[in-house]
Formats: sequence, C-alpha cells, structure tokens
Amino acid sequence: MPRNKVVWRRAVFVVLIIASLAILTVSFRETESGPVHAIQQAGLSVLSPLQTWGARAAEPFQDGYQWIRTIWSAHQRAEELQAELQALQGEAVKLKEQAEENQRLKSLLDLKEKGTFPEGTDFEVARVTGKSPTRWEAWVQIDKGSADGIRVDLPVVGATPVAGESLAGKGLVGKVVAVTAHTAQVQLITDSESSVAAKIQGPRAEGIVEGSVSGRLIMDYVDRDLAVEPKLVIVTSGFGGIYPAAIPIGVVANVGEEDVNIYKEIEVAPFIDFRVLEEVMVLILPAEEVSVGGQPAAE
Amino acid sequence: MSKKGLFTVGKVTLVLVVAVLLQILLVSRISVLGVTADLFLILTVVIAVSRGSLEGAIFGFVAGLVADISYLGPLGVRALIYVLTGYFVGMFVSRFMVTGPWGVLMLAGASSFVAQFVFGLFQFIIGPRAAFFTVVGTQMLPGAVLDGLVAVPIYVGLVRLRLIPASHLEPSPSVGGGE
Repeated sequence: MPRNKVVWRRAVFVVLIIASLAILTVSFRETESGPVHAIQQAGLSVLSPLQTWGARAAEPFQDGYQWIRTIWSAHQRAEELQAELQALQGEAVKLKEQAEENQRLKSLLDLKEKGTFPEGTDFEVARVTGKSPTRWEAWVQIDKGSADGIRVDLPVVGATPVAGESLAGKGLVGKVVAVTAHTAQVQLITDSESSVAAKIQGPRAEGIVEGSVSGRLIMDYVDRDLAVEPKLVIVTSGFGGIYPAAIPIGVVANVGEEDVNIYKEIEVAPFIDFRVLEEVMVLILPAEEVSVGGQPAAE
Repeated sequence: MSKKGLFTVGKVTLVLVVAVLLQILLVSRISVLGVTADLFLILTVVIAVSRGSLEGAIFGFVAGLVADISYLGPLGVRALIYVLTGYFVGMFVSRFMVTGPWGVLMLAGASSFVAQFVFGLFQFIIGPRAAFFTVVGTQMLPGAVLDGLVAVPIYVGLVRLRLIPASHLEPSPSVGGGE
C-alpha cells in the first residue's frame, strides 16, 4: 500500500477521533441551547416524524407479532399450567388421603376415648395391609405384631369413613387369630367361623352374632319371646372372655322368625363397612381379661 | 473526486439513509430476547470489511452521529465508538484476510460486544451505578449474537445488489498484508 495513502488514512482516522471527542466534550460542556444541542435537536426534529410515522406503520405488524407471541406464550403457559395442575391434583389426592386418614384415626381416637373398655386396656393402632382373597373367609392382615404387644384373641375395633358423631362407622371388627413379630391376622366378625356373644340394647336380649360366607351378619339364639325392633343397637355382651362388654357391633336390620325355630334370627347391619377398612385399633387387654386358666378363651 | 469516487460515496450514503430508515422504522421495533439489532454498527462493520478501514471509520463516524441524534444520547459517544470499530475492523480484515459471511458474522458479533461494552462503561461512569455485569449477560451478549447473525444477510444482500464489494482486499492477497 502506498505510504501517502497510509498517512492519509491515519490522518483521517485521527481527525475523526478528535472530531468525535470534540463533539462529545462540547456536548457535555455546553448548555442546552448550545450549537451541538441545537444540531441534535434539529436532527431529531427531522427524524422524529419518521419515528412517529414508523410507530403508526409498525403498529399492525407489532400487534400481529404480539398476537403470535401471545399465542405461543399462551400455548407454553397452558402446558406449564397443565403440568402444574397434574402436580396439584396429585397433591390434592395425597392431601385428601391424609385428611381421610386423619378422620379415620380421629374416629378411632374417639372410640378409644368414649368406649367403655376394661381398666388397663392399651390401644395399638394398626394399618390394614392385606385382606382375605376369597369370600370363604373374612380376615385382614395388619402391620403390627407380637413386637407391638399384639397377641392371639385380642379384640379389634375400627372406624370407617361413614363414622360421625354417632356410633355408626365405629365398632367391633373382630379378633386377632394369628401373630408374627410384625404382622397379625384379624378374623372379621363376618367370617363364617366367627361368633360373638352379644346383646340388644333395649330388650337386653342376648344371643350370638355369627358371620357367614355371604357376608351377612346374623344374631342367633335370641329368645323368641323378647320383642326386638329394627334399628336397635347390638353390642358385645362381654360373655365368652374375648370381647369386653359394650363394644358396638351394629343395629338390627331385620327380624326373622320361623315356626320350626325356637330362636329369633336377626339380621345385623354392622357399624363397620368392612370393604373400606384401612386402620384398626387392637385392644391390648390386661392378660387376665383374655385368658381363662392361661389359655385363650373360646368365642 | 473522480466520478467513480462520487458514485461510491453516493452508494454508501444511500446505504446509510436506508439504514437510518430501517433502524427507525423497523429494526428498533423488533426485539429478540429483549435486545434489538444495531444496524448502524452492523453497517459500519460491513463497510469496513468490504471497503477498508478508512471508509469504515468515516461511515462509523457519520452513522454514530446519526445514532446519537436518533437515540438522544450525548452527541459524539457512538460516533467515537463506531469510528474505532470501523477503523479497527478494516485493519483486522487487511491484516488477517478475514472475508466472507463467516468472517462478517464473527467480526460483527465481536465488534458489537466490544462497542456495547465500551458504551456500557461510558454509561456506567456518567450514569447511575447499575449492575454492569448483569447488563453484560442480559444485554451485551445477546445483542452481540443478534448483530452477528443480522450482519450476514445484510452483507450478502449488499454484495448481491452491488452496493458494496465483497472485500476491499487485493485479488492476490499477500500474507501479512495491511498497511
């Protein structure tokens, strides 16, 4: 490259730098009415109509662009909200489950506080972890065992969602029939092998509440001469040595009498809905309450 | 000045006028990731690549003044920055033989970042003490990327329209050329 051209180039560059710095310096030093500001104002007055016109012209395009952006962001937002909704639904289900569990445990606590259990009775709340797979037998497995003080023939009570302030939903579940260190099997009162000494509040009629394969609960051996009306409450009588007295079982649903039968056959509607049983409470009775001569009492 | 020289000045002036119009009417209204492209700077780089450091510096000076007027900034700041940009980009191209769209992309991106950095420093010194490095991340880097990307089609378009040559370098460049 020719030397004079290089010099010329450098000279122009230096001039431009000096001009820029000079303009900048003057721009800062002079007042608002100075020449540089006047030039800037004049230039701006030329450009500002362009800017105004540009703003007007660009408005529809900007609106369109914003519209597309809004749609895109709305789409993204919808996806985010969908994910959030799913998470919240999961959370809501979890909370509902916890609320229902709390309600059931509260019912069990209520049963514990209001029930008339023998002196010295301990209570162990257990979660139902399994159920009998066939209708031939009716039992549930719970997550507490001998390590928690559970032993065979201890009575088990429970509370199901229909529980309110009344006895409905709270009542006798059955008894422990098998125990391991950390689990136990509870025979339900609806099991065909189950029998519970009971009495009907009001006429004080006594009998045996038995389960059946069909799941129906029948109170048998009730004296025919005693008047029994539907809706009367049936509770444990305390006879037999396993179940303490006054544990609610259910209400009289239907009273049947056959000429050939010397006893009434009463259909019992249990307080517990065994289909939705999730927690139970094992009554850990003092040892003398449950054993007769060191052996579990038969009931 | 020869007729050819006047014609060249006319073409570059036309480019500048169109750039002003485009910047005011269109480009300043299109924001990508919160930043807008700076056509004045991009064209300064493109002119410096295609015509050399002298033309780049002159174009940068005029474009910088127009930008200062348009943006109501202190008059002379952008002029100074763009003069330096145009001159050093032209020098860089001459010395390292950088041409073509990729070269324009890299040079425009780098120049944009440096120019924004210097302008940011200036604002930081005279203005409020803003979070300078936050601006580097949120404004300068995206702005540099955008300017680099926008520079390529502008360069290719202007070359195709024969408003600027592809490069001011000699057809048989000598290694380590320049001044």
